[in-house]
Amino acid sequence: MNIGTRKILDRSFTAVGIGSIVVMALALMIVVVPIVYNGIGAVFFTGTVEHRKMLHAEFKRGDSQNLDSEVASTDRYRAKVYDMLTGFEAELETMAPEKKTEYTAKYAQVQSALRALLGPLPGDPEPMLTRFKYGQTRWEKAEEKLHDLLYESKWDNSNSSVMSKEFFVSRAISFEGTSLARLFPYVKENLENMLHPEFTFYWGFITDSSVDSHFFGGIWPEIQGTFFLAIGAMLFAFPLGVVAAVYFTEYAKPGFLNSMLRSANSTLAGVPSIVFGMFGLAFFINTMKVSESKSVIAGALTLAIMILPTIIRAAEEAILAVPKTYREASLSLGSSKWNTIATVILPAALPGILTGGVISLGRAAGETAPIIFTAAVSVGSAIGLADVFSSPTPALSWNIYNLASEHEAAAQLRHVQYGMVLALVTIVLLLNLSAIVLRARISKKLKC
Amino acid sequence: MIQRLLLLLFLIVFAVSETADAAVKTIVLDGSTTVGPVAKSFAIYFTKKYGVRVTVSESGSGNGAKSLINSSCTIATMSRAMKEAEIAAARKKGVNPVAHVIAFDGLAMVIHPANPVRSLSISQIRSIYQGTIRNWKEVGGANARIVVIQRESNSGTQESFKELVTGKRMRITGNSETQSSNGAVKNRVSTTLSSIGFLSLGFVDSSVKVIAVNGVVPNEKTVKNGAYKVTRPLYLYTNGQPSGLVKQFIDLPNTPEGKGMITELGLVSR
Repeated sequence: MNIGTRKILDRSFTAVGIGSIVVMALALMIVVVPIVYNGIGAVFFTGTVEHRKMLHAEFKRGDSQNLDSEVASTDRYRAKVYDMLTGFEAELETMAPEKKTEYTAKYAQVQSALRALLGPLPGDPEPMLTRFKYGQTRWEKAEEKLHDLLYESKWDNSNSSVMSKEFFVSRAISFEGTSLARLFPYVKENLENMLHPEFTFYWGFITDSSVDSHFFGGIWPEIQGTFFLAIGAMLFAFPLGVVAAVYFTEYAKPGFLNSMLRSANSTLAGVPSIVFGMFGLAFFINTMKVSESKSVIAGALTLAIMILPTIIRAAEEAILAVPKTYREASLSLGSSKWNTIATVILPAALPGILTGGVISLGRAAGETAPIIFTAAVSVGSAIGLADVFSSPTPALSWNIYNLASEHEAAAQLRHVQYGMVLALVTIVLLLNLSAIVLRARISKKLKC
Repeated sequence: MIQRLLLLLFLIVFAVSETADAAVKTIVLDGSTTVGPVAKSFAIYFTKKYGVRVTVSESGSGNGAKSLINSSCTIATMSRAMKEAEIAAARKKGVNPVAHVIAFDGLAMVIHPANPVRSLSISQIRSIYQGTIRNWKEVGGANARIVVIQRESNSGTQESFKELVTGKRMRITGNSETQSSNGAVKNRVSTTLSSIGFLSLGFVDSSVKVIAVNGVVPNEKTVKNGAYKVTRPLYLYTNGQPSGLVKQFIDLPNTPEGKGMITELGLVSR
């Protein structure tokens, strides 16, 4: 091959390499940017007076005097809306019967749209569920609800051989000629006065428990559950994994049994996590009865089994990477085998072992399948350390799935879901980052 | 360094466990995604009122039954009655399942709002799920292939649907799609123009269109008076007659507060 072709080949390889890195970075951006952007929106957002009312009533937070004056000022503007409603209700009574039924149905829609926007109307019975006690707490949602109030969505099905098309009818026009027609421009003009949107930093999203299954409040029980599960898994898996790795590298005699054990370990590392979940349910809960129901301990044990192979492999590699000279020097000084392992080999292998451990910790924090049947619940309060043996816990990974698919109001709670995703990504990222830092620190210490 | 990090983590954990009150007893609910919203609301209400921890998992009626049989839950939430086989399995393990009806639910047939079809008869729905009607045009709609959406075998909603509409023995067409919760069905139907699915009345919102079955639209009134045919009770199952706190929990649907929550969630109280 002459130098010219070699150069071209070399350059094109560089180009492909750079190209693939760019593609990877773009893919990462596409995934991470919406997560970060929307996730931050769970903590920083434009909150309305309803948000502050909710905080005050549910968490006793905020200055009650300020809030009272704010509520008074918003109530002044709302009072006019409610007056218009009473006025229209009186007008409704005087209408001709068929006109009355027509408007009653339309009026019910207006009422429910107003309820969604501003909370219960005067005269409504006190709602049992907290979700119906407040209007929109977030301004961008309030704007959506305003649209629902101003326009009625209809479907044009004049041509029954094709699918209908959506179109919007202004309610102001459909109520033309009645006293309610004034309501729509009034609400549109004065929505800010009725809701007082303000930039809000809701740190409670991280530290509060959820109110009424994630409609309001924060995700602390989920974060805590994730920590309990991941650390619990580590407490079981790390010591076991290191001991197993020491056995494999130092004590095991090469032979049939040993190679069987090793390949079993490798196979275990490739088993899908849902299989571990089913195993955990069948073995830890139904057979061993480690707890009466799902519990943190059962989940942690299941996760421990799942990450054990990875920890063993990482520790093995780290121990094998310790230079032979270390061991020989130690043994030549008259040290016993066990002493050599404990004082020379393990400390030297520690950075590698720890990296493997912390990366597995991140994996344990992010796994959903193993905890579905063993530890995770969709509603539950934050638990104390004493309860890990008996209580299940909410956990980020499972609750993200639950909010995305099973929750009855999944579409309304996207911000909570994104907030949870960001929290989980951050936790895993921090764990991995700490692995890198730890490794760097320890290897520096070993060198001097 | 590592010690410090671990110490920090444990401090966080301990600081938290101080604040979490040490409730002695936990009521564990497991089962149906249909009963999920009611169970969750009851759990929150109960925890607030009595300070008892109540946890809820939504993994399907079948799982609820299994959990009760294995005594790994206090109360199984189910959107169908326990099958004889399940009761037999429970008895074998010394568990005596007792049913408590908490509410009634209409099984709403839902389609995309763009679909002009307003009403189907039970026999039409049966044919759609059998796979003999494959195009909306055959039932007076647009010319589009019907995307049939069903639930997984673990689902109580699926069992109720089969019992009430298609008949237990009928095989649902292989061209159908399986979703694993009410929420997932709603999500799929609201994003697929030519789909049809069924879900609990409590999950219906404006993103999907409910069609009349045999000319009757499901709502509180038609479910209660039996005019809407595809209706079923929702159950809580306990091991033996409940007592103490569990009994109080089971009795919640009979209190005005419980009834209020059930109605607000779109279901029909007894």
